[in-house]
Amino acid sequence: MKVRLNSVVKMAVAAAALACASGASAQSAGQWTAKFGFNQLTPKVESGDLTAPALPFTKAAVDRDIQPVLIFAYGLTNNISAEVALGTPYKHKIKGAGSIAGTGELGTVEALPPTLFLQYRFFEPTATFRPYIGLGATYAYFMKERGSGKLTALTNPGGPATTFDIDNKFTYTGQVGLAVNLNERWFVDATVNKSRLRTDVHFSSGQNQHMKLDPVAVVLAVGYKF
Amino acid sequence: MRQKNFALALLTAAALAACGGTGSSGGDQSHPITFSQQVTFGDSLSDVGTYNVGAVKVAGGGKFTINGSETSKDPALTGLNWTEVLAAELRLPAPCAAQTGLEGTNNDANPAADFFVPIVNNANCFNYAQGGARVSNPIGPGNKVVKPELGEMTVPVKTQVATHLAKVGGKFSGTELVTIMAGGNDVLMQLATLSANATAAGNTAGQQAFATSLVSGLAAHNTTNPTGAAQAIGRAVQIEAARAGSTSTTIVQAAVGAAVGAGDTAVASPAVYGPIVATAQAAATTAGAQAGAQYAATNGPALVAELGKAGAELAAMVKTELVGKGAKYVIVNNLPDVASTPSGRSQAASTQELIKAMVNTFNAQLKAGLGESPNILYVDLYTVSNDQVNNPRSKEIYGLTNVTTKACGDINSLLCTTRNTIQGDVSHYMFADDIHPTPYEYWLVARYVLKDMAVKGWL
Repeated sequence: MKVRLNSVVKMAVAAAALACASGASAQSAGQWTAKFGFNQLTPKVESGDLTAPALPFTKAAVDRDIQPVLIFAYGLTNNISAEVALGTPYKHKIKGAGSIAGTGELGTVEALPPTLFLQYRFFEPTATFRPYIGLGATYAYFMKERGSGKLTALTNPGGPATTFDIDNKFTYTGQVGLAVNLNERWFVDATVNKSRLRTDVHFSSGQNQHMKLDPVAVVLAVGYKF
Repeated sequence: MRQKNFALALLTAAALAACGGTGSSGGDQSHPITFSQQVTFGDSLSDVGTYNVGAVKVAGGGKFTINGSETSKDPALTGLNWTEVLAAELRLPAPCAAQTGLEGTNNDANPAADFFVPIVNNANCFNYAQGGARVSNPIGPGNKVVKPELGEMTVPVKTQVATHLAKVGGKFSGTELVTIMAGGNDVLMQLATLSANATAAGNTAGQQAFATSLVSGLAAHNTTNPTGAAQAIGRAVQIEAARAGSTSTTIVQAAVGAAVGAGDTAVASPAVYGPIVATAQAAATTAGAQAGAQYAATNGPALVAELGKAGAELAAMVKTELVGKGAKYVIVNNLPDVASTPSGRSQAASTQELIKAMVNTFNAQLKAGLGESPNILYVDLYTVSNDQVNNPRSKEIYGLTNVTTKACGDINSLLCTTRNTIQGDVSHYMFADDIHPTPYEYWLVARYVLKDMAVKGWL
């Protein structure tokens, strides 16, 4: 676990350093904004089959989750900005699918997908409607993977409790958004983020499962310019 | 600089938020429904040691699988059958046999050969399943009537259920997990009877064809009076064949003697009568095989109908004697693919087709009879076992290494242990013997049953 945490801290610090390094060169055009809202994270799951020993075509489904987010952006120029979001972990229910469809909730996992975006904002800073596009570096961090009696029954009946680990992944995220300036300080904002995320799940009972998660995040927020 | 610190602080906070118990864990292992006990009715596939007495016990056997726990060698070698894995997962006491004993050969002097041990009923054990048990017919394979030396009780499922009901005052409390699985021995016994009758029919037809061919062959050699010779030889053959203790050799001797008596001395030479006998034998073989096959073909459909009856009977039993008497959680496993077992595969193609028809009819009647009920879980083991044997890709995903070879070789699984299996690693074989699974296959069965229980909302 230490290894994982360290990598997150390193990543966070690296991200911060990057933001500041860019920021320093464009400090004069710089403006900080903060927005607060809700993010609905929906994995678009294409589950691989659970490997042996398993019932053929054992698949998994992952439910969506909504969590509050606090998003900070910094204007590098009038049109280019850097953005990073902070939020509580997304708790996803993992359910049986494929040949084990109908078995219900088998486990839960919490995910943190910290992403550093570089954005291009159209039009003048004073325009009422400012659409933007962005591309981000994402670190998908999975934690608190929790099994259940049902998961054990389906993977290793009569044996010790089955646990699972999901591989953390560096990946990228595309973004489109629209900020609507209400006045000089306040604005509302809608964003859709789509990440490419392929990872592997490892079960203590010996099986593995490849998962294409490719989550879509929809964020609705109210923001303030400093 | 101020902003830099601000950003760093926020990012560090995000990282810190992730602290504290981020590892994976098994989570809550309890199941929402707490069953009070497991009650099991059935045959060898659910038997946890009815015959684990006398010589069977001395041999280290007792269950119809690879007996004995050897998990240090391979975790799959648990010696457990599916009812035991199910109980372990549901945190219920390990099931024990409601009745023990054997009614075979008594040999008090040599416990290793003693197959007679008085029957004991265990009041606190609720697994009534017995190897050889049929749905309602008391004579199953292994019963003393069929195999006097072994003498399994083969108490039929119908009686097992009645015994339990008598024990618990006529009704279930509703919190028991009841499992029931039978019909396999009905297939095997019907098939054995058919096979015996077909063989008998074949033998009779063969003997007739042999006599006819022999008489006409020898008579034809008599060029002076073939008709008179035929009458004399025919009479001699008839008399000899009717005599107790006659064999084909004595019949040939009598026939040749009569042929010589009818004036054909040359026929006494083996060089002359030998080929005639050979022709008669060939005719007998052909006629016998034909008659046997015809008997099987004619009587096969009747067997299929018998199995349909047994399936319907089992379904009715589940509805009236189990659910009707208060059971709320009844697991009914259908018949696995018997035709794909080593026993089935060793049969002629036509017999395999007959087995398939018998099993399918049994399962169809069972399923139709059970209908839809919140209290009955019908588990389709047929489809799973068929897939395991006939789909190489599935075999691999199930983790099976061999789906055709018997792990116990020619040893009956009741007497098979981890010490007398065939050479090599048999831990992930599908079959222990002709028909019975290894502990690994039983584990797969239990896991499949649990999957269906989860879908039904019982887990």
